[in-house]
Amino acid sequence: MLPGFRTDQTVPLEQVIDDGMPVERIALLGADLPGLRPRLLCERGDRVQRGQPVFVDRAHPDIVFVAPVSGMVEQATLGPRRSLSALVIRAEPGSKEPGPVTVAASTATDVRTMLLAHGLWPGLLTRPYGRIPAPDSTPDAIFVTATADNPHAPDPRLALDGRNDMFRSGLKALALLIAGPVHVCQSPGADIAADLGDRIRGSFFPAGPASGLAGSHIHRLHPVGPQRMVWSIGYQDVAAIGALIETGIPDFTRIVSLTGPRASRPRLVRTFTGASLQDLTREEILPARDGSAAIILSGSPLAGRPASWLGRYHQQITLLSDAPARKETAGWGLLARFKRPPSRPGPIVPTAALEKMLGFDIPAVPFLRALSVGDAEAASRLGCLELVEEDLAAVSMVCTSGADYGRMLRHVLDELAEDA
Amino acid sequence: MTGWLLDPHRMRQRAGWTPGRVTLAQMVALAAPVGVKLVEQGMPMASVLVAALIASLIWELAFAAIRGRSLTWHSAGTALIIAILVPPATPLWQVAMAASFGMVFGELVFGGRGYGIVSAAAAAAGFLVFSFSGAGLSGSSQALALATLPGAALLLLGGLVSWRVLVSVIAVLLVAGFMQDGTSGLPETFVAVAFGLVFLIGDPVAGASTQLGRWVFGVLAGLLIVVFDTMAGPDVATAAIVFASLLASLFAPLIDHFAVALIVRRRRIAHG
Repeated sequence: MLPGFRTDQTVPLEQVIDDGMPVERIALLGADLPGLRPRLLCERGDRVQRGQPVFVDRAHPDIVFVAPVSGMVEQATLGPRRSLSALVIRAEPGSKEPGPVTVAASTATDVRTMLLAHGLWPGLLTRPYGRIPAPDSTPDAIFVTATADNPHAPDPRLALDGRNDMFRSGLKALALLIAGPVHVCQSPGADIAADLGDRIRGSFFPAGPASGLAGSHIHRLHPVGPQRMVWSIGYQDVAAIGALIETGIPDFTRIVSLTGPRASRPRLVRTFTGASLQDLTREEILPARDGSAAIILSGSPLAGRPASWLGRYHQQITLLSDAPARKETAGWGLLARFKRPPSRPGPIVPTAALEKMLGFDIPAVPFLRALSVGDAEAASRLGCLELVEEDLAAVSMVCTSGADYGRMLRHVLDELAEDA
Repeated sequence: MTGWLLDPHRMRQRAGWTPGRVTLAQMVALAAPVGVKLVEQGMPMASVLVAALIASLIWELAFAAIRGRSLTWHSAGTALIIAILVPPATPLWQVAMAASFGMVFGELVFGGRGYGIVSAAAAAAGFLVFSFSGAGLSGSSQALALATLPGAALLLLGGLVSWRVLVSVIAVLLVAGFMQDGTSGLPETFVAVAFGLVFLIGDPVAGASTQLGRWVFGVLAGLLIVVFDTMAGPDVATAAIVFASLLASLFAPLIDHFAVALIVRRRRIAHG
């Protein structure tokens, strides 16, 4: 972790999986699918079954999004420019669960059709751009991220305990999709992808800043650019693919860590993607000594976002203290006029920390300057195609400017993706 | 552009450098040299310091009021450096003029600290030497050089001065000094350049900002010191350091441009 970070927690994370509080509502979020315009297949009040398609991507109708639980659609709202805001499903525990289906997964076409039809395709993300891949595209390689990106994230070996066969069968299915290698990136230890043929390779990354991020794995093993694309996928999504192949029942459970200074018992809990964080953390929040409210982040303290729902790609929930309301300091006479909260990013002072936190063989200061002025061409020349938002979280925290470089990067990437 | 700031919870967690903390660190690093200088030169030095402080703060206040920004207090650090560089016998109005020029044209017209291209203190010292006949800059002393060391260590630890710049400047001076008169004069040379090296040439916002560029920038600054130096023997004129810093800073963007071109080329070859 970065030295001196105020998110250091008092109680260490207990790597024990617990069932956690029951979750009544789950949501499919537009925040996870930027730029996607849905065509809804259900309406408010409809009953849906687990694994039933609820909407498709308007641009690629083959990409199907399914309900992670059986229940009733409580809310289906669109955001600006007909993007998805949120589709909320209220779980009905007594409702009929779907029976097992037989899925074919012996050829590349079978696997592709299966992933698309059962809503598992959105687990894949392209690099460059960090978007859900087009249904007909093929990458050079697939990266399975089975590393914890910070000490408070779930330990992948523990989270996969008991699901190893499913994970391995998921890996085999992914290997069918492409002609290139499937890299299984892990922290040092026993190879969880051993003896699966020479195209499924275990790679080991020692703990350290950013070494758990897919971006740094890809940079080390298969750097991407305008002409070179890879896909990345999380280990729990691979296990979900395997579960569907092995049992025929779609599995949308997700093991997440519940951490942060305000977590009363930091541990791993088993829940669903998109779970309501209010429900999940109802009895987990430690009261603060100064009475401040807690804020719930979906994701790590560095890259997470304040949210009411667990993000599709997140494996961590962080409970932080909200700052006490700032007292109005009237008085101070004339000097009060010169004390304003910053409304825009400050200067970039080229400190040594910038280079250390960025990595990626990118000259930090020229790159951050290119991002701050939105110079897509310069940023792409310097290597922004290798990055997504999470890779810039650490550098945003140490830069003097206080700018959110992740958001600036997304702006530049969207511009480049349009031209590509 | 609006809305590019970190969200409030991450803004609060920021433990790295903020503009305010950078200013504070620089002031702490400057405390010992200023103290030494005050002890050495007494009241005249104190009045120079006050004149420089008032002039720079007035300009910063004026720009903050016009632009509707908050005060950064960075001008106080600049004033401290100016006070150390200026000899105590200088008329106070000349000190005030020099500090005003340095603050306004060194950084405030560009938008403040971190946006300019030269070090404001170097601009002020350069202005003083050029504009007033008979005005010079005060030399260094052993005590001042020693007092610079803890501050230099602090800035190096915090990453606010690049060791690459310091090492390459010192390497050039070593070679030049060795070629001139052997090893005998080296300690004297270091005493003369220590302060200017850390606080003028080492200024992170005025130097090159790529790792490779910092080596080149340091070598260039070192060579310029050797070229501008008017003093006979191993001693180095403070003015030489000031002008070397100014000129090297002007070349920093060019150096960075070529360094970036090299890095891009290397990336293209490595990544296809």
